[in-house]
Amino acid sequence: MNMILSIPILILIPCVISLILLSPLFTSNEVTIRRFAKSVCAFHFAYTILMLIFFDSANPYTANISFWGADWVQALGIKFSFKIDEISMILCALTSFVFLIASISSKFNIRKNHKFYYSMLLLLEAAIIGIFTSSDMFLFFLFWELEMIPAYFLIGGSFNYGAKNYDEERERAKKSAIKFILFTFSGSMFMLLGILLLHHYNFIINGVLSSCFTDINDSAIPMSIQLFIASCLLIGFGVKLPIIPLHTWLPDAHTNASTPVSMVLAGVLLKTGAYGIYRFNYETLPQSFQIIAPILAILAIINIIYTAFVCYAQTDIKRIVAYSSISNMGLILLSLCAFNKIGLAASVFHMIAHGLVTCGLFMITGIVYLRFKDRNINTLQGVAMVMPRLFGFAVLIVLASIGVPMFAPFISEILTIISAMNSELSFVIRISALLSLPLLILSSCYMLKFLHKGFYGELKEEYLKVNDLSVHEFVVLASILGGLLVFGLFPNSILSMIS
Amino acid sequence: MINDIFNILLPQVGLGIFIILLFILSMLLSPRCYKYARIISAVGISIAITLLSTVQTEPQYFGFRGSIMSDSYTLLFDFIILLCGFFTVLLTKNLVKTIKRNAFTFFALLLSAIMGAINVVSANDFLTLFVSIELLGFSTYFLISVSKGYYSKEAAFKYLITSAVSSGFFLFGVSYLYGITGSINFSQIYEYITDNETSLVYSVSAIMIVLGLASKLAVFPFANWIIDVYKGCETSILAFLSTIPKLAMFGIICRLMVFPLGNSFELTFVIAVLCLITAFWANTYAIRENNVKVIFACSASANASYALMTASLVSVYNLSTVIFYLLCYVIMNLGVFAFLNMFGEEKPFDVSNFSGIFHRNHGLTAAYALSVLSLAGIPVMSGFIAKIYLFTAISSSGFVFVPFLLGLLLLMVMALFYYLKVILPLFENYDKNNETVKIKANFSQQFVLYLTTGLTLFIGICPEFLIELCRFIAYNI
Repeated sequence: MNMILSIPILILIPCVISLILLSPLFTSNEVTIRRFAKSVCAFHFAYTILMLIFFDSANPYTANISFWGADWVQALGIKFSFKIDEISMILCALTSFVFLIASISSKFNIRKNHKFYYSMLLLLEAAIIGIFTSSDMFLFFLFWELEMIPAYFLIGGSFNYGAKNYDEERERAKKSAIKFILFTFSGSMFMLLGILLLHHYNFIINGVLSSCFTDINDSAIPMSIQLFIASCLLIGFGVKLPIIPLHTWLPDAHTNASTPVSMVLAGVLLKTGAYGIYRFNYETLPQSFQIIAPILAILAIINIIYTAFVCYAQTDIKRIVAYSSISNMGLILLSLCAFNKIGLAASVFHMIAHGLVTCGLFMITGIVYLRFKDRNINTLQGVAMVMPRLFGFAVLIVLASIGVPMFAPFISEILTIISAMNSELSFVIRISALLSLPLLILSSCYMLKFLHKGFYGELKEEYLKVNDLSVHEFVVLASILGGLLVFGLFPNSILSMIS
Repeated sequence: MINDIFNILLPQVGLGIFIILLFILSMLLSPRCYKYARIISAVGISIAITLLSTVQTEPQYFGFRGSIMSDSYTLLFDFIILLCGFFTVLLTKNLVKTIKRNAFTFFALLLSAIMGAINVVSANDFLTLFVSIELLGFSTYFLISVSKGYYSKEAAFKYLITSAVSSGFFLFGVSYLYGITGSINFSQIYEYITDNETSLVYSVSAIMIVLGLASKLAVFPFANWIIDVYKGCETSILAFLSTIPKLAMFGIICRLMVFPLGNSFELTFVIAVLCLITAFWANTYAIRENNVKVIFACSASANASYALMTASLVSVYNLSTVIFYLLCYVIMNLGVFAFLNMFGEEKPFDVSNFSGIFHRNHGLTAAYALSVLSLAGIPVMSGFIAKIYLFTAISSSGFVFVPFLLGLLLLMVMALFYYLKVILPLFENYDKNNETVKIKANFSQQFVLYLTTGLTLFIGICPEFLIELCRFIAYNI
């Protein structure tokens, strides 16, 4: 089975298909391209699920690619090696699923440049899967950088079609894409510094010239250097996550990108930051992480509370969703800071839950925007009158995001608070757990405002003939809701894998 | 004497014969035969490349009483310089059409510049080095001024003045060094400084020498020329200017820093600080520029400063990273200038003139974009590996250099910004009726562009062979 289910194939499927789509030989017929891309995503999802089914935690998937008998860069001990452990496996499955629903929902949102769009989407998928599966620091960095280029083109190139002020929207999308790439690239430069120093000190202290995560031993590296390395790495991941002072790219990028791109960004791209913190700081440099964790917990609390207030003040419905995802990422950070088994499980579970919820919310805002050409919460009203099915989904997904029992986020929020309460690291984290409780109230404030103002009220006359959900949109929302319900009712399906 | 010629000087002799042949033909043939000049010089460079196989390299060979030497290090640099020269000749097809009468002289000067560059790398005393640098420099003035218009003359004059001043610096340093050690031969100076204590005067002279040489790389005190020179220069000459003098100067600076100037700690810090200033200046200057040529001028200066900083932290391992970086950089740059050469000289090289070019020329533009992204250090291209490999050298040189490294890394963010400014207009939407954006490229230009982009991708995906080669060369210096 290991011959068929291998990691290089998992990465190469989207990568190769993206190149095929980009080549001038491939047809430029819109429908063919869309169906082809969709079926590739579906195949990729099926392949990932097969890997998930046959996953054996005692014998995880590994792959080591060599070039005519030589490693990638032997002089530095850099190997082209991949490994899928439990957490990577779960996140790969999430990635594959989010890209599948994003490609389905692209039908109504993307009207131009189909070849380029789908090619970039698949390239982004390959890069993100690469981040989740690489077991070498420099390889991780390679995919981390590689992901920026398609993300840039997706944010800047596929703006919200059908907008009233088309040119203005386009310029804004370009600006926010540049902002995204500059923020991410500066973060990743700090990360590169951290990786280079970690590689060097691991070599001179432990005598192992290797950059595999498993070969790095932090016990003998001086603590001051460890802290420096850890903070460099944290700046890199903090931009992606995002941690509060580094977050300003996110609302712009998420708001100005088109719906499927926002789904991908919020659903998976932010999780790469959390995964990076887990992989580097939590797992590889645990000593320094234990010292930094209380500070991070405070930052996480600021993330949670501050953004919740900011979110309440927003009038653009996409911005509300964007800020709510910053708030939720704070929760993931807090559960990682707890530094115990429950915390890890909670963070991974919340990555899945939040990935699904935020995809659903972006889908809903996207549908509303397509129909009503308006995202302002003050002028938008009465959606429920003409779109009852969308309203039904909106209510359920909003309830899920607030943390109502039976849905997945409920489990992860409870687990986060339990883990932070039981943290043995510092009293700061235990206090943070208490402070994070208001999130439950605050999130219901802004989310219910979103629902109340946007969906209730009098409908304007010009919108009386708006159609309700189409089949594509129904399928996407239903599958998201199904996922939320399944993980909410049977959380053990994931939790048993992690612990 | 005759032995020495046959052992190490045959490539230069081959080039010299072709230079004389081109000068003679320029007097004999009518201007209508200008096309042959390009073919003859291409043949000349190919013969020189073949003659490289006759050069003695095991382990080191000193000729002409130790004034010229050869080993595997010089052989590699000679080979790359000649190869770049060959590609430059391939790119000159459009230029030659505009200078019909002077085509033969032009190629004679190009070949003599290449010969000078080879001599610079294999020089083993300061006199040979100075003569070779002037041979390279004087040919370059004429090459820069070859295209029509005011700007090329201005550029040539600026280059002339900067080179003259930097030569002064160089000679000043050499005279002090002669005063201390009593010799101008690299080996004898190296013997002297390993046996004796060195003083501050030695450091001053070392700094002067390196600054004089680094002016050709556009490092800080002598950096401003690069903007005007690149602006006024024809693109095929830029392909020459951004590769061959750079390779030659790095070839000799690395050797000097390892042997005769290797005993000065002050040199390392001064060069590191100057490089940081250069990188800062170049990257900030490029941000507000809209001329593509100027952006690449700044990029050339910045990239040279990254490599020079690493070269100044003397160690054999660092040397291998510098060589690898240079090779990757030269390949990317050739690709970039091959594309700009296809674009032609009719329109100004403003960023906005490139908009929408992708939609009519998929392959060419994609190759160009890959080369530029590689310069920015985006994977999977060779620039990514080259930068990482280069920066491991700085990070392993001690915690003192971490601030420098951080500075360089943050400047790379700025660099990404202006590289994106070059690339993004290519993919913008455009008016389909606009006929002017179809590029007419001849075979040799396409060959250079696709070959260099292919190499860039190949090295990016499996760099191990080239890195092994660079390590071998560096450990045999």
